[in-house]
Amino acid sequence: MNEFCLEISSANKSFPGVKALDQATFQLRKASIHALLGENGAGKSTLIKIITGVHKQDSGKLIINGKEETLNNPNDATKFGISVVHQERNLIRRFSVGENLMLNNMPKTALGLIDYNEIAIQSKKWLKILDLDIDPNTLVSDLTVAKMQLCEIAKALSLKAKILLLDEPTSSLSPQESKILFSLLKKIVREEGVSIVFVSHKLEEVFNICDDVTVLRDGQNACTSEDIKNLDRQKLVRLMIGRDEQIVKSTRKNQNTKDTILALKNVKTELGHKNINLELNRSEIIGLYGLVGAGRTELMKCLIGQDKITDGEVIINGKKVTINSPKSALEKFKIGYISEDRKKEGLILIHNVLDNTSITVWSQIKKAIGFVSDGMISKKVDPYISQLEVKTPSNYQLISNLSGGNQQKISVAKWLAAGTDILIIDEPTVGIDIKTKAYLHELIIKLADDGTSIILISSDMPEMISLADKIIVMNNFQMNGIVENNHDYDSVSSKIMEYIHT
Amino acid sequence: MNKKIPNFIYTNQFGLLCLVLIFTLIFSTSTDGFTSRFNIFALSRVIAIDIMIGLAMMVVILTGGLNLALGAIGVCAAMFGGWCMEVLGIPIIPSILLMLGMGSFLGWINGIITVKTGVHSFVVTLATMSIYFGFMTMLTEAEAFRRLPELFTDFGSAKLFNKYVSPLLLVSVATCFALFYLFRFTDIGRKLIAAGANPEAAELSGISVNRMFIYCHMLSGFLGALAAILLTTRIGAAIPSMAGQLGMDWLLPAFLAPVIGGTLLSGGKLSVFGTMLGAVLVTLLTNGLYLLDVGEFWIRFFLGIILLLAVLLDRTREYFTLKSVIVS
Ligand SMILES: Nc1ncnc2c1ncn2[C@@H]1O[C@H](COP(=O)(O)OP(=O)(O)OP(=O)(O)O)[C@@H](O)[C@H]1O
Ligand SMILES: [Mg+2]
Repeated sequence: MNEFCLEISSANKSFPGVKALDQATFQLRKASIHALLGENGAGKSTLIKIITGVHKQDSGKLIINGKEETLNNPNDATKFGISVVHQERNLIRRFSVGENLMLNNMPKTALGLIDYNEIAIQSKKWLKILDLDIDPNTLVSDLTVAKMQLCEIAKALSLKAKILLLDEPTSSLSPQESKILFSLLKKIVREEGVSIVFVSHKLEEVFNICDDVTVLRDGQNACTSEDIKNLDRQKLVRLMIGRDEQIVKSTRKNQNTKDTILALKNVKTELGHKNINLELNRSEIIGLYGLVGAGRTELMKCLIGQDKITDGEVIINGKKVTINSPKSALEKFKIGYISEDRKKEGLILIHNVLDNTSITVWSQIKKAIGFVSDGMISKKVDPYISQLEVKTPSNYQLISNLSGGNQQKISVAKWLAAGTDILIIDEPTVGIDIKTKAYLHELIIKLADDGTSIILISSDMPEMISLADKIIVMNNFQMNGIVENNHDYDSVSSKIMEYIHT
Repeated sequence: MNKKIPNFIYTNQFGLLCLVLIFTLIFSTSTDGFTSRFNIFALSRVIAIDIMIGLAMMVVILTGGLNLALGAIGVCAAMFGGWCMEVLGIPIIPSILLMLGMGSFLGWINGIITVKTGVHSFVVTLATMSIYFGFMTMLTEAEAFRRLPELFTDFGSAKLFNKYVSPLLLVSVATCFALFYLFRFTDIGRKLIAAGANPEAAELSGISVNRMFIYCHMLSGFLGALAAILLTTRIGAAIPSMAGQLGMDWLLPAFLAPVIGGTLLSGGKLSVFGTMLGAVLVTLLTNGLYLLDVGEFWIRFFLGIILLLAVLLDRTREYFTLKSVIVS
């Protein structure tokens, strides 16, 4: 039994109305990378939370280094050398990056005070390992989601744990950033004998770095510690979703009607964008591609009036306009923005599914004296909730109790319900399983075909190339170039990379 | 928001209801006057006002803020109304509307300052509390208005239901229903709650958060003025010291009712009927302890302890509603 450093046997875990784990079994070999896969709500994060002492299993054994152990809280797990990057971000937003990284072992001066110089030096070292160019004094609240994710990985690495659990660590990263992470992971497995559990919905990554695979389906094992060499993509997908994968091929013809609905001319923003020129036609999908920190999300926030455009023109339907708040973007100009940061900007975690999905439509559906009932809301939003196959015991479940992927579905659903003319979609498929991802892709294409104009931000290159009509490459708050997309992955992706590096 | 009560037994309100019944039982057996017609009538008048004060604080707590100027606003509205009726001779109904307008206006000032400066409303209302109260004292020269129209003061001493219940209580209960309707069945009410729960997400979802926060402060001022109207009819005069120095006598019941009732101090969740029951419970306790001849000091001591317990309860409540967020 000694080859396993961590084992879970026949674990059960129930939440009110949901059986999250049902006789689940999991074995982690020493010095290996083990993929933990499954659809949204399959129970992956629940399993990870049991290993890290966040949740306690209702029954079943947890065996660490051959001994059965009980973990009562996350600290216990740390004592066994287990470190984790949870699916949801857990940094303290008002602290600096350095303080967050060193939180668990703050360097002190001789007088016992916190040594801020030392914090900067040590945290810089870990940031550098991930090729992250962030000043350790930056406040976490000023970072984009991707950078936060990288910081959290750096923090976990800095603890030098023997068992490292990564719950969708790459969900917000672009392939370039993931690559750096992967070579690092392989190195610590090889040289330091670290064992890693890796959760991801990106199967290429799994085949790239993992040795073993465990698949969960509705809390049960669909396979246990299978050698990756015995699997191919098709088999894996069948294990996860019970049927074959459907590849969405965009069948969109390039629109020849040039009905410009939104144009930006020489736009400058208070956040530092310069010379932004963009034209969006009716029924068109424009992609914005760039590395972490290219300023794509920020540009869109300026467009919807959250931050200010300082110079240049915004033209909607041929008229020069000023959009001064997301409210007027939604109500006057019918522009919606699906945020990439669902926890902070997308959802209200302490409210339920129904309230969250309907927040954009209350004004639309209200009757005399503002009357809005749950029944009216359900009628409006239920189709979207069921279309996206949101896994929830009821519409009254709190959002914070949904699995990460299902939360993401809600943050998309609420904007589908709003029925906007222009929809800005920022990283729509972060953390969404392949089945729903295919479905969402179809939906985005259908939305566009039905007349919605879409601006798509995605770090997922295949997604970008399969959906967008043209791709604008951004770097450093400027536009580097526009690539017409013919949906041929190799040629388009190499053109994109060229522009990124000019 | 108490959407679709899955099992009424498990709700906070049910717990409160039990406590109210238990204390009623205890006091009616252990004291003499508790169930007397006189005492029940007196209780109903006090409860009415405490409910209103609690509601007024609740709508600002909803934003994650506080309204320390609540008592000062109430007294200002009362004195303004007294002046309108006694000095200007304005009829009762228009005077009441003017008082409510005055309360809303002072609340609006709180809201505007809070939103424009970004300073926490705790600090803003601490300042406006002194300012409002100072102005009022200066303008009225600390003189009370004691010759209010009879019809107005009669309302406060009227007795209904076999002379057991004051009509003031009906006003407060009706206000509870109105607020419940607002928060549960109107778009604006839902927006107020959403803005309080997560301002950033609400803003990006097309809700004007600043405006919602200002509305909450206005509503608080409005309800504060309403409480002051009830209090004025009850004591039959508008007196500068009717809510204690700077109106601070109102603060303890104002916090107690919503916090005991299940309104989250960090904002974004509220319970209208919880606040109502919270006010009932606090008033019952105070009254019962009086009747048991526990000294004034001990009653304050008890109320302080209850406030602490309630805040503790709020902490655990927050922990449980957010459990998977804090740790995951
Ligand atoms: N704290 C909780 N309270 C209630 N239900 C919960 C809670 N945490 C998880 N669940 C439910 O348990 C099930 C499994 O959730 P889990 O987070 O483990 O899924 P997952 O496999 O990580 O999914 P994803 O890919 O979306 O992250 C889901 O149906 C979820 O709604
Ligand atoms: Mg998960």
